[in-house]
Amino acid sequence: MRFLVINLILLLFCSSCSLKTTEGLRSVGVKSSEITNPYFSNQQTDYVYKAKIDVYGRYFGGILIIKKIGKDAHRVVFTTEFGSKLFDFLYEGDTFTKNYILEDLDRKLVVNTLRNDFKLLITEKIEVVEQFTSNKWEVYRSDYGKRFGFYFFKQNSEVLEKIVYTSKTKEKLEINFEASDSIAEMITIVHQNIKLNIDLAYLKKD
Amino acid sequence: MRNFLIFSIFIVSTHSLFAQQTKMNAQEIAAFKTQVETSSQSTQTIKSDFVQYKHLDFLDNDIKTSGKLVFKAPGLVKWEYTDPYTYSVIFKGDELLINDSGTKSKVDIGSSKMFKKLNQLIVNSVKGNMFDDTDFDITYLKTPTSNKAIFIPKDKKLIAYIASFELLFNKKDATVEEVKMIEPSEDYTRIVFKNRELNTPIDDAVFSN
Repeated sequence: MRFLVINLILLLFCSSCSLKTTEGLRSVGVKSSEITNPYFSNQQTDYVYKAKIDVYGRYFGGILIIKKIGKDAHRVVFTTEFGSKLFDFLYEGDTFTKNYILEDLDRKLVVNTLRNDFKLLITEKIEVVEQFTSNKWEVYRSDYGKRFGFYFFKQNSEVLEKIVYTSKTKEKLEINFEASDSIAEMITIVHQNIKLNIDLAYLKKD
Repeated sequence: MRNFLIFSIFIVSTHSLFAQQTKMNAQEIAAFKTQVETSSQSTQTIKSDFVQYKHLDFLDNDIKTSGKLVFKAPGLVKWEYTDPYTYSVIFKGDELLINDSGTKSKVDIGSSKMFKKLNQLIVNSVKGNMFDDTDFDITYLKTPTSNKAIFIPKDKKLIAYIASFELLFNKKDATVEEVKMIEPSEDYTRIVFKNRELNTPIDDAVFSN
């Protein structure tokens, strides 16, 4: 009886502290020490997306432009449909520069959230610290300070389908990709701790 | 020698290209303003196609979007993108009615002086009638085929968004052919109008979401 209680407590405790993300996944040894996010890796491509942002039920749209401008550098610019810039970020390795942000948006929480979301989206080379497998997925974990990034690749196809960003115990953010030929045609960014969703649809060239 | 000739022709032709654009004198400015005002006053409705080019210095290609513009005097504007996505904004009094491929929203701009100014700018630039010296420093230029007005906002807040604003007018009928909005970073948005129809009847229902 005592064992049962202890077991029950343990079970309760563990189910509340373990990540849903890794449920049903089997930890295997690290086979690939580095993986690649292929979606923003071509310097010859202008990645242009129609964006829809829903923040606490308030909705607004715009154009998101991502460009790889150097070996380890990206520009991420958001404009209105009319073309006026709302923000302009520069990522160079671990250095972040806020080239421009509209005064109304220039709040620490907003900037840090956007900065983090797009950093996760564009980071190309990812160092793997743990690897998991299941029938459907090959999953790679990377560490970002106290946070984890889980990269889900479809088994056999080797296509990156989602990134889950977590603390040790909780999911914070999920990015889903629908891709064809190394272009992510649909991207959804969903936050778990704040009501912020970003939907991106790739604009095809004529 | 041949190269020298080609080079000289190039120099001369580019020189004349730049020389084509000259400042108007006071008389020409007055005549031009009157022409635009007369044309603007006789314009009750405008329907036009447009192509928008967003230029960002780090991109290989400008971002090209296109659509339709509908204007009805005194101040109703519908700005509709149809390619490569559907998105429309209706400027109606103190409201913006937005339809983003089915997602509809309403923005009240009544409380924002800044937005009101931007809105006024858009409505007036469609008509071309915005020669207000109190809000802008204005430069008037002419070429053999068109007239050009460059507006630099005096409002410090506005200038953080738009460093300058250029309108290109058809010399014959004083209609606006192109609008260019230049940002402080020198990136710009250029909008080219074509297939313009003036004073065809337009139902008010066009301006509802």
